[in-house]
Amino acid sequence: MIAALRKELLLQWRSRAQFLAVFVFGASSLLLFSFGIGPNAEVLRQFSAGFLWLGLLLSSTLTLAESFHDEMENRALEGLLLLPSDPRALYYGKAIANWLQLTLLGSALIPVMVVLYDAGTDRIVALLGIVALGAAGLSAPGTLYAAMTAQVRGKQTLLPLLLFPLIVPALLASVKATSLVILGDPMDSLRAWVVLLASFDAIYWALCGLLYGRVIED
Amino acid sequence: MDTAVHSRSTRTPLIFLGLGALLFVFGSWWGLFIAPAEQYMGDVQRIMYVHVPTAWNWMLGVIFAFICAIAYLINGKPKWDARMEASVEVASLFALLLCIQGSVWAKPTWGVWWDWDPRLTSVAVLLFAFLGIIALRNFVEDPVKRAVWSSVATIIASVDLPIVYFSVKWWNSLHQQQSTPQTVSSAFHLPLRINALAVLFLMTGFIMLRTRVAAARLSEEMAPPPMVPGPAGELA
Amino acid sequence: MTGVVTGGWGYVIAAYAITSLAFLIYGVGLIRRAGQISR
Repeated sequence: MIAALRKELLLQWRSRAQFLAVFVFGASSLLLFSFGIGPNAEVLRQFSAGFLWLGLLLSSTLTLAESFHDEMENRALEGLLLLPSDPRALYYGKAIANWLQLTLLGSALIPVMVVLYDAGTDRIVALLGIVALGAAGLSAPGTLYAAMTAQVRGKQTLLPLLLFPLIVPALLASVKATSLVILGDPMDSLRAWVVLLASFDAIYWALCGLLYGRVIED
Repeated sequence: MDTAVHSRSTRTPLIFLGLGALLFVFGSWWGLFIAPAEQYMGDVQRIMYVHVPTAWNWMLGVIFAFICAIAYLINGKPKWDARMEASVEVASLFALLLCIQGSVWAKPTWGVWWDWDPRLTSVAVLLFAFLGIIALRNFVEDPVKRAVWSSVATIIASVDLPIVYFSVKWWNSLHQQQSTPQTVSSAFHLPLRINALAVLFLMTGFIMLRTRVAAARLSEEMAPPPMVPGPAGELA
Repeated sequence: MTGVVTGGWGYVIAAYAITSLAFLIYGVGLIRRAGQISR
């Protein structure tokens, strides 16, 4: 699995221009959200967490799909299966790489959020932690579905179509947790949301790894 | 062209449908005209006699789809894929109906079409998930791949249902919680049970028939192409 | 939640009508499709 992970990270490093493009996409989404809502600083701050996560979610469809682009180009997906490696190792390698990329993307979007929506906070570590957990929730099922839809025509619409309903709990928990960190947490309910998010991550990282082998077999 | 319409094999589902329809008419008539009006909600509450049976059966449909998905992944028999295709479609129909019924209930009761009730919101999320599965099936042509992938997707979506429910429940509890009445007094039980049975029969009939349709298409897809003599006698 | 919700029969009829119609259309459609399955 380490080998798979290293390969993925190497591929991602090579296509870092792509990452920059996705970041710009995410940042411009955040900008568009403010245009959609209007120049009301109070309201924007109120919903800044929601905008951040929606922006990250939309951007994730790009990065997730992209992560299988190389396999599809060279039909390497079938080639990998000929190697004596566990499909689960392949899955986790790719899922972790996607997770790191999404965490990086989310973290990069935080300053954009702070500037556009006046949504600053002192609790940077907590914020980054939530971004990491939320990104994990996106990347586990996202990697599985990206593997499926990469092999199919109409892949661009199918990936979000399948992924979005599924990650609703992760989205809710991430937004709520982020919101509490930014706007304040009078009833100390942050922990409950983090636990929900972590549970979602645990369940889906296990389940998707289990099912991945069936998805890429011939 | 063979025009035999109703072979013996379609008789059972037709019986289910017929019985279900009859019971549904009877149960609804009872619920609409004979059962007493509810104390606070008045006559609008009578929607319950169609909404709750649909909800119970939707739940059963989702569970059945989940079981079929697992069965297919375990033994690979196409009939499980056919049953799963049927139950995913029927469950989607029921989910759509639940959302419509729920809105029609919510408007006169709470003044809004959608009140973010956790149960109904979970239904809506799962409706989209199942519609995605149907879309996935339409985009994949190889029958085996289609079966495997949609089984995986069905399992993932079904497992998500309780998680979605709890997360929406907590999310909504911070705001004013408007709950639909839980306790039902005995005067309301009979029409509710009649309609629950009625919809169960209807759903069973639907799934059986839809399975046949799916199975027929599957056997067509997996069979070798037939050699048919053309108009001038040559083979196609 | 105060008082009694009066009226609303229109909504009740709508709910039953839409549901019944959906069942009817779907059921009849299925019966026809199943009937067309050639042996």
